[in-house]
Amino acid sequence: MFEPIHSLALTHYLITGAILFVLGLIGFVTRRNLIIMFLCTEMMFQGVSISLVAFSRYHLNMTGQTFVIFVLTIAAAEAALALGLVVLLFRRKHTLDSEAWSSMSG
Amino acid sequence: MTLQFARFIPWLPIVAAIFCALCCTKKSWRHYASWICLASVVGSFILSLMAGSIITPGKEAQTVTFFEWIHAGRFQANFHYYFDTLTIVMLYVITGIGSLVIWYAGGYMKGDRGYARFFMAVSLFIFSMTTLVMADNLLLLFLGWEGVGLCSYLLIGYYYDKPSAVAAGKKAFIVNRIGDLCFILGIFLTYREFGTIAYEPLFEALADMEHATGSVAAIPFLFMLGAFGKSAQLPLYVWLPDAMEGPTPVSALIHAATMVTAGVYLIARMMPMFVLSPYALPVVATVGGLTALFAATIALCQYDIKRIFAYSTVSQLGYMFLGLGAASSVGAVFHLFTHAFFKALLFLTAGSVMHAMAGQLDLRKMGGLRHKMPVTCWLMFAGCLALAGVPLFSGFYSKDLILGDAMAAGLNGHNPWMTVLAWMGLFTAFLTAFYTFRLWFRVFWGPDQCVMGDDHHDDGGGHHPHEPHEMPWSMNLPLVFLAVGAVIGGMVCHEWMTTMVLSSSAGEALSHGGTAHHASLFGMDVHSAVMVLSIAAALLGIALAAWFHLIRPSAADRVKQSYAGLCDLLENKYFVDELYDAVVVRPLKLIGSVCFVIDRLVIDGMVSLVGFAPRLLGLTVRPTQSGSLQGYGLSMVVGLAIMLLLVTLMWGY
Amino acid sequence: MGLDIALLPLLVIFPLLSGLMLPFLGGDDPQRIKSFALISSLFTFVFSLGLLVGYDFSNSAEMGLVTDVSWFESLGLTFSFGVDAISIWLVLLTTLLMPLVILGSFSAIKFRIREFFFWLLLLEAAMIGVFVATDILFFYICFEFTLIPMYFLIGIYGSSQRLKAAKMLFLYTFTGSMLTFAGILYMAWCNGSWDFSFEALSHAHENMTTNQQVLAMLAMLAGFAVKVPLFPVHTWLPLAHTEAPTAGSVVLAGVLLKLGTYALIRLAIPMLPDAALVVAPYMGILAVVGVIYAALICWVQKDIKKLVAYSSVSHLGFCVLGMFALNVQGLSGSVMYMINHGLSTGALFLLIGMIYERFHTREMSQIQGLGRVMPIWATFMVFFAMASVGLPGLNGFVGEFLTLFGAFQSAVLGPAYAAVAGLGLIFGAIYILHMVGKVVWGPVKIPQGHENDAKDLTGREITVLLPLAILCLWLGVYPMPILRTLDQPAQAIMERVGTDLLEENQAKPPVRYDYHSHVRAEISSDATLTLKTLSEGGR
Repeated sequence: MFEPIHSLALTHYLITGAILFVLGLIGFVTRRNLIIMFLCTEMMFQGVSISLVAFSRYHLNMTGQTFVIFVLTIAAAEAALALGLVVLLFRRKHTLDSEAWSSMSG
Repeated sequence: MTLQFARFIPWLPIVAAIFCALCCTKKSWRHYASWICLASVVGSFILSLMAGSIITPGKEAQTVTFFEWIHAGRFQANFHYYFDTLTIVMLYVITGIGSLVIWYAGGYMKGDRGYARFFMAVSLFIFSMTTLVMADNLLLLFLGWEGVGLCSYLLIGYYYDKPSAVAAGKKAFIVNRIGDLCFILGIFLTYREFGTIAYEPLFEALADMEHATGSVAAIPFLFMLGAFGKSAQLPLYVWLPDAMEGPTPVSALIHAATMVTAGVYLIARMMPMFVLSPYALPVVATVGGLTALFAATIALCQYDIKRIFAYSTVSQLGYMFLGLGAASSVGAVFHLFTHAFFKALLFLTAGSVMHAMAGQLDLRKMGGLRHKMPVTCWLMFAGCLALAGVPLFSGFYSKDLILGDAMAAGLNGHNPWMTVLAWMGLFTAFLTAFYTFRLWFRVFWGPDQCVMGDDHHDDGGGHHPHEPHEMPWSMNLPLVFLAVGAVIGGMVCHEWMTTMVLSSSAGEALSHGGTAHHASLFGMDVHSAVMVLSIAAALLGIALAAWFHLIRPSAADRVKQSYAGLCDLLENKYFVDELYDAVVVRPLKLIGSVCFVIDRLVIDGMVSLVGFAPRLLGLTVRPTQSGSLQGYGLSMVVGLAIMLLLVTLMWGY
Repeated sequence: MGLDIALLPLLVIFPLLSGLMLPFLGGDDPQRIKSFALISSLFTFVFSLGLLVGYDFSNSAEMGLVTDVSWFESLGLTFSFGVDAISIWLVLLTTLLMPLVILGSFSAIKFRIREFFFWLLLLEAAMIGVFVATDILFFYICFEFTLIPMYFLIGIYGSSQRLKAAKMLFLYTFTGSMLTFAGILYMAWCNGSWDFSFEALSHAHENMTTNQQVLAMLAMLAGFAVKVPLFPVHTWLPLAHTEAPTAGSVVLAGVLLKLGTYALIRLAIPMLPDAALVVAPYMGILAVVGVIYAALICWVQKDIKKLVAYSSVSHLGFCVLGMFALNVQGLSGSVMYMINHGLSTGALFLLIGMIYERFHTREMSQIQGLGRVMPIWATFMVFFAMASVGLPGLNGFVGEFLTLFGAFQSAVLGPAYAAVAGLGLIFGAIYILHMVGKVVWGPVKIPQGHENDAKDLTGREITVLLPLAILCLWLGVYPMPILRTLDQPAQAIMERVGTDLLEENQAKPPVRYDYHSHVRAEISSDATLTLKTLSEGGR
């Protein structure tokens, strides 16, 4: 069916995934715009997804790819929901700054 | 004829109590209450007479079974009644005197708002008191014991608009409870030692004992304290003088003739147990003798008629205990019997005076009443003679018996303390005669004087004449019966009483330990010598009273001035109430307040502290929940990094 | 036979269903809701009378009318029902008090009426459930569930500090019960099977050392002693009582506190017999301290309701004292005390509620001398006060006497306990007469603006009080119908604990025995050791 990829190729994929993940992470932690933070989390998803697909090809089983399909579908649903929420929040305070929503602090 | 009917002696009055309670509900029914009550008590009296015709001296005591009360495991206490001659004597006193007092009260209380309530409580009292003396076990006796306490509480506080009456009722109940606690502990201990609290098996077990040791010797002391509470002896006598806040018939019936003698009855009943303990009876005698003297001295300087009689009652009860302590249960019960007559008479005549004077009780505000109330005057005179112990009157016989027995016990047993107590008793007899006639002379003789009281008897608009007046014969007639008893009761009943008491458990206990009366005093037989002495004491007392309060009133004032400190001490009753208040009541209340503070602050505080611990934990970690999304993200990353680091370090990658 | 099986589940389900039906009852007429609640509670009472017919009292220590209703078949969990004499009387107390309470709150509750009766009926179901349960899970569920209706009854309908009181009641008792639950699990674990029926757990102690039992006992006490409430963990009670609406106070005093004592007598003592012997003296001390301490506090109270609330703490001390006397008199006295306290204190709370309804205050300095203006109320007040003081001839005395008697004769406690607790009799008289003296006697004093409210009791209010008064008198004069049935259960408990042998030797008069040398060979080694150490420590 498929050829297993070489371990060197796997390393490359993993590094790509890690870079995407860390970029997303840095973006999430540093930016305060809700939409950009949301996009950053999506980026982290993709980083993880690349690693999962790479492992799937490396081990020659479908588990990793199955996970990715799940992640994608949930991400799609979540995107719809989250963007809707962001719109709602924006309507309330006319800002997208995440600091504006800290009323749940202890 | 069997004794089955006798079980109704207490239950007739309780039926009456229920009917009287119904009478409370409607104003127009109110006046029936006294008749219902009187009918039931007379009925009980007749039943008592019938029982008395069956239980005669020499007959075995009988138990009448009724129903089970409290059973738990082996413990049993039933509503069963025990009849011996002592029970019969007590029943005569309770129902007989009770009928006469209720008869009088029917007139005395007329027009009062609480008329039906009064007779309900009195009926309840007769129930409790008859149960007390008829009980076949100690717990049923305790039921009667507490029951009379309740009725006493309700009746002392009868005029409940008066705060002093309410306080007096409360005091009576609480002081009695102190004795009651000791009594009930005595019951517990009796069961622990004998496995029963019913009289018959108890007396059987006691008959087999030679000497009481250990706990058995302690039981009489517990009973004794109970008796001291109910019979107002030192140190628990303080409630009785205050109890005079109740209506006068109550003072006569409950606080002179019957209830307060329950303690005497208890010790007489438990005599088989008391004689076994070497120290029990001497202690009873000591307390009795001291109380007699102590209360008599207080009575010397009081001005309130009813209070004088109240202290006199305490003093006379002291005599009875002295008699019991001298192992003269005949003397004690005899004095109980005669005292019931003359003291009820004295109280009721005092009630007549009070009634006539619109509630005035102060000796200083009356005088010369013999013209306006001749019948009352001479009725009270009869009572006074009996109380003072003038020969041929009833009090003379019984008091003399007690003093003679005490003196004989002291001289025979070479017991100097008992001898001292007997001499004290003689001195008290002199004081008794003095204060009794001080009262009588001041009320009925001397210059005419009457300052009416302001009490309108709470009768909702009944008119009061502005002059003292004689009582109607409906009220004086029962007094005449009492007076007859007070005059001839001693003479007529002397022999009968001796056989009755000796054939009961109170007498049997003494017979086998009895000492021969051989001792002599002043070369005479002890009893004759004491008789001479007590006659002298009585006459001296009367003479002195006549001198100070009839012939030379100014001399009385001079004496009072020269001994002002002493008079002050006596007038204030040795400040015992104040002492108790400072030593017992206030500290206890303070402890209560302190406990409340402790409860609020310390105990509740500790609970709050426990509740505070999780809260504190929350407070410490609270700042980490900043509400900033980035912060959470960062902490997640840091946490993850630390975890990864740990994992790599541990697995050594 | 059919009814026998259905009766106990019916007693739980009927009030539960009636309660659940209340929200769907059409119409907004408050009168209809009230009558519905009253009638369904009366029906429950009538059903509960069936217990007297259906149960065989000649064998009153045995569980009767036993029924199992399957719950989680796969886990082997069932609701098991069964009653013995102790539980029957407590069920009857509950079903009797409930209609009276409902009738008594007809005029007191003015808003959210539907909800009020809903909670009351649910509460009744849960309380009956506790008394008829014979497996510990069912028992525990009902035991805990009582908190929820109580929380809302106090939190919604209470006085000014109601929220604090409700919270305190909930957290206090809930914390305790959590520990109890842990203890139950621990017992089952020691027992080696996850069978939670009383029957199975009653053998758990055979697999436990005394130390393990004591541990489990402490866990049980944590929950039950709070509920009773025993001396140092009583502080939730005065607040809850004072703040609760009348119905809440009556149920709280009448039944809810008894859940604690009932649990002690049903679970803690018989299931952990050796531990019971070990803790008995300490429990006795706590009980005695509680009696005296709470009674003294009563004396300085200014709020009538708080006074009666503290008196409950004092009274329940007697109850626990009798229980840990571990002899027939103490145990049956303790059960009598539960019933009697439910009647007389319940009535006192009702009476106070009637006053509060009229004058909107409970301060003794504000309301005085009501005997003159409200004679019927005053009569009832004096009557129930006397029952509460323990006047012989009224019900309070029977329990008080037997518990003290039990403590005095007990081989594990002793005369000192009874003597000190007996001071409670004196202090009890002091505080009750203090209250009666202020509120009933004396010159009339009525709060300003309420001069026209000093009307005597209505027919409805008399109907509420009269059954209680009659029962108080009856149980005081002739308590045998109940007392007779308590001998056997008490005996059974003693046999489990091993104190029956002590009793045996003690009762032979008048020779006194050295109990401990006499029975050492006869009872289980653990218990003997315990007794020995106790007696040596005591000398």
